[in-house]
Amino acid sequence: MSAHPDLSRFDPLPNILFYDDFDRGLQGWTGLIGNYEDSLDSILPPYRDLRPPMLPNSSAWDTGSSGSLSGTYAMKLATRPQPGSLAVGIKRLTYRHQGPIQLEAYFTFKPEASELRLSETDVHSIGVLFDLQDDQRRVMPHLHYLNAVDGVQQGRWQFKSRQPQFRDIGGTGKTVSHFHLGEEGWEDLPGGGQLLCYNEIATKQNWHYLKVGLDLKSMTFTTFQCNDHLFDVSAVEPMTMPAMANLWCMLNVAFWVRAGSQKRSFLCLDSALLSAVIP
Amino acid sequence: MRQSHTAVVERNVEWTGHFFTEPYETSWATEAIFFVRQLDADRFSTPIPLCVQISPDGIHWCDEGTEFPLTPNAELSWARVGHFGGWLRLRGELPTDQTIRVIVYLQLKE
Repeated sequence: MSAHPDLSRFDPLPNILFYDDFDRGLQGWTGLIGNYEDSLDSILPPYRDLRPPMLPNSSAWDTGSSGSLSGTYAMKLATRPQPGSLAVGIKRLTYRHQGPIQLEAYFTFKPEASELRLSETDVHSIGVLFDLQDDQRRVMPHLHYLNAVDGVQQGRWQFKSRQPQFRDIGGTGKTVSHFHLGEEGWEDLPGGGQLLCYNEIATKQNWHYLKVGLDLKSMTFTTFQCNDHLFDVSAVEPMTMPAMANLWCMLNVAFWVRAGSQKRSFLCLDSALLSAVIP
Repeated sequence: MRQSHTAVVERNVEWTGHFFTEPYETSWATEAIFFVRQLDADRFSTPIPLCVQISPDGIHWCDEGTEFPLTPNAELSWARVGHFGGWLRLRGELPTDQTIRVIVYLQLKE
């Protein structure tokens, strides 16, 4: 690990399932869409316009390109310039062993620098989720950093345990949908306050480290770290529901950003690494 | 092997009046095709010119020079673009009281 400068800034479990640095494309990350049958109009309204990922070289109007933490490109999620607009990037795989897994990423978030103001409360939140299923349960661990609400800084991590209601989609009885990224139902992570480096103007961005650990056997959180803060997640219950058809061994990972003002909100990932313990 | 990517920059969106697609970052790519697919029966009567726009920063925009028409009853309209820098979007304008529902694809290649 120490011989590989890009990997040595991670602390992975023994088996690396993916390492994406976005200098070779989006590497399997794509946009999210709600479920549908027959017509796109059957999608639940909040799922209809989740904005897709792209590959920026992080160019600012005043200083030009800053590139990513290591290289030129990152994965960027960009909302519309509307409060509540969401951009989501998701990567879908399956697991081969129900044991520990760990996601690590270097990320940064900013509002669009469309005015010469600090704008530190224009991003509402950024988040990460897993979508998992074993023989009995579908489990969806959600964490987000609530940056600001209505222009007031919040600066704390939250989780979501309550499962939104499923809705039938179409008429075949085979498709349902539930919108789990809504603003409702979030609870404060115990000791979850953290002020992240925003820097001094809207075009200066700093990269942050994130680590989330899960155990696929117990379907519980094991670790959560952001920069120098290590949080206690032992009592955090992930969103859990009965197993669903067609999702066996699912292991999805997603990041998102929610706009808090009439300005685009951006979340960029320099890199993401998912590792596991596979006997 | 060259990188490539298809982005759905608008999906099931209704255009009316002055409209723009959301900005999309393209600095890694050298060639692009915009596809506009009409999703509903035509609710406009004359061809609508669509203009490709470029930007140095994703905030300030100018016409790139490529134009292509959105034609009634034509399911797909498209245009090739090259040497466009870091950002691309489309702009257009529909006459009052006319609308259209579309999917817009941006196909990019290194």
